[in-house]
Amino acid sequence: MAAVSFQELRKNFGSTQVLHGISLEIADGEFMVLVGPSGCGKSTLLRMLAGLEDITAGSIAIDDRVVNDLESKDRDIAMVFQSYALYPHMTVRDNMGFSLKLRKDKKTRIDERVARTAKILNLEPYLERYPRELSGGQRQRVAMGRAIVRDPKVFLFDEPLSNLDAKLRVAMRAEIKALHQRLQTTTVYVTHDQVEAMTMADRIAVMNEGRIEQLGAPLELYDRPANLFVAQFIGSPAMNVFEGILRDGAVEALGARWPAPKNKGIQGQPVRYGIRPEHLQPGRDGVPAEVVVVEPMGHETELLVRINDIDLIVVMHGRSAHAPGERIFLAPQAANAHLFDAASGRRI
Amino acid sequence: MRRFTREAGLWLLAIPILLWTLLPIYHIFLFSISSKDSAFSGALWPDKPTLRNFGTIVREEHFYLHHFWVQIWNSLWIAVAAGALTLAIATCAAFAISRLKVRGGRTVMNLALFTYFIPAAFLAIPMYKAMGAYELLNSRWSLVLAMVTLAAPYAIWVLKQASDKLPYELDEAARMDGATPLQLFRLVYLPLMTPSLVAIGTYALLLAWNEYLYAYLLLSHEQTITLAVALGHFISADDSPWELLMATGLVYALPPAAIYYAFRRYMVGGLTAGAVKA
Repeated sequence: MAAVSFQELRKNFGSTQVLHGISLEIADGEFMVLVGPSGCGKSTLLRMLAGLEDITAGSIAIDDRVVNDLESKDRDIAMVFQSYALYPHMTVRDNMGFSLKLRKDKKTRIDERVARTAKILNLEPYLERYPRELSGGQRQRVAMGRAIVRDPKVFLFDEPLSNLDAKLRVAMRAEIKALHQRLQTTTVYVTHDQVEAMTMADRIAVMNEGRIEQLGAPLELYDRPANLFVAQFIGSPAMNVFEGILRDGAVEALGARWPAPKNKGIQGQPVRYGIRPEHLQPGRDGVPAEVVVVEPMGHETELLVRINDIDLIVVMHGRSAHAPGERIFLAPQAANAHLFDAASGRRI
Repeated sequence: MRRFTREAGLWLLAIPILLWTLLPIYHIFLFSISSKDSAFSGALWPDKPTLRNFGTIVREEHFYLHHFWVQIWNSLWIAVAAGALTLAIATCAAFAISRLKVRGGRTVMNLALFTYFIPAAFLAIPMYKAMGAYELLNSRWSLVLAMVTLAAPYAIWVLKQASDKLPYELDEAARMDGATPLQLFRLVYLPLMTPSLVAIGTYALLLAWNEYLYAYLLLSHEQTITLAVALGHFISADDSPWELLMATGLVYALPPAAIYYAFRRYMVGGLTAGAVKA
């Protein structure tokens, strides 16, 4: 186990800079998720930690030891690849024991560790099989087994679940989380899926265009997004955001007055008003809107409503009697509304 | 009806092609089991088929066959050495260019392709002079080196293409697992490249086995020539022993056929299945 520290880390590919000075401290035993849209630099950051990409500037330290110039193999870290990258000509047993064999562990010790890891991952019946004889979920587990067996200081995951179908993804998500709780190994996990990030992370670093937009615990990001990017990236369905002017404790927008959190902003300031779908509920009075689409999901119902040609999403608990074409009133919860500066996008 | 016409068309095409290919081989076979007198009878099957010709060959009982065993050994030695050497050079080159991404790899690939603008026959005389300068004429090594020179560019090209198809994540996974480049080469790269390696090794081996022009130029002593060159000597006289020539030719054709048969499993890929997604 170990702490990981990035200091002012930069990465150039040719003349393009893809990471613009990333500083991030990952605590010992922490499950850190790097999340962001594709091309935001999250995978590059992970690969730099893995030693698969050179560092242009800045430093990476594992347990206070700078590893910039260390080979991957000397960093004592293990990585699970998106494509699994299992050795096709080796059995599951040999795949898992490969790293131990390379560092010249004794055969009895390798067998023992592989057996123990296989037991944790329920891979015991498959040890003599080849990767091509396994299902996607099993291959994924072998890839994890290959990492666990080494007992490394840090686990790295690069979008490990994106090749699995939806159901399996949810199951593996829980499995990885449980594994982390059991092993307590520092983990850096890269994904573009904010649901994965929310459900698994101790802390999330939301990345965009080579910078960290916000760092914090999942619900902290959800409740207090630092800017528009984080506000709209975290949460599903995404937060409703529209432009307005702040006046007398409310935002004038879409031909109505939207109650705003108290003591925020300046009179007359152009802002962006953000409200999550579950904080916007139909009521007896409020902002008039027209229901366009009703999506019943059983445990909740999603309404697509229209106000002045702007579409908003409303999520209601349970079932709804509303029908398309119906006129309703929306009651925004002022305490849960978010204000962002119209120009900078920063939270007010 | 349409299907029938199509199939009939295919058969009409296939039968002549098959006859075209097999007739010469049948002709060789016919000669080799005929006695000297009946070889030119023109019959589709000899009156008295005989295996005597093969006995003559094995016991080296003819003027042209006095060194049969030495010559076939030469052929074999040269073919195996050329195959092995080509494979060693081309595999290392392909690994370095495709996996280690060494600088100048592209240039090497372009040069390899460029060598095919020059017909091998053009290089025969320069090669002869070069071998003479190194005092390698009449040594098996001269032909081995010449064959490796001719086979290596193509081998590098093919193996590089095959290497590129291996997922790069495998290399990264091996690096993370602690493999040095040499271990990566030995424990991951070579096993996965086996089908291509066997195919390319066979190619180089057969290229050398079948070579005539270079063998004829570089080797001239009866004890050093390959069987292919020795076969050429059969027709140097007015009264050639055709039945022995054909029988020896048939014997000479057997090893390549056997090699193809033995390695047919490797000629198809599929070993990388399961490495990555899909």
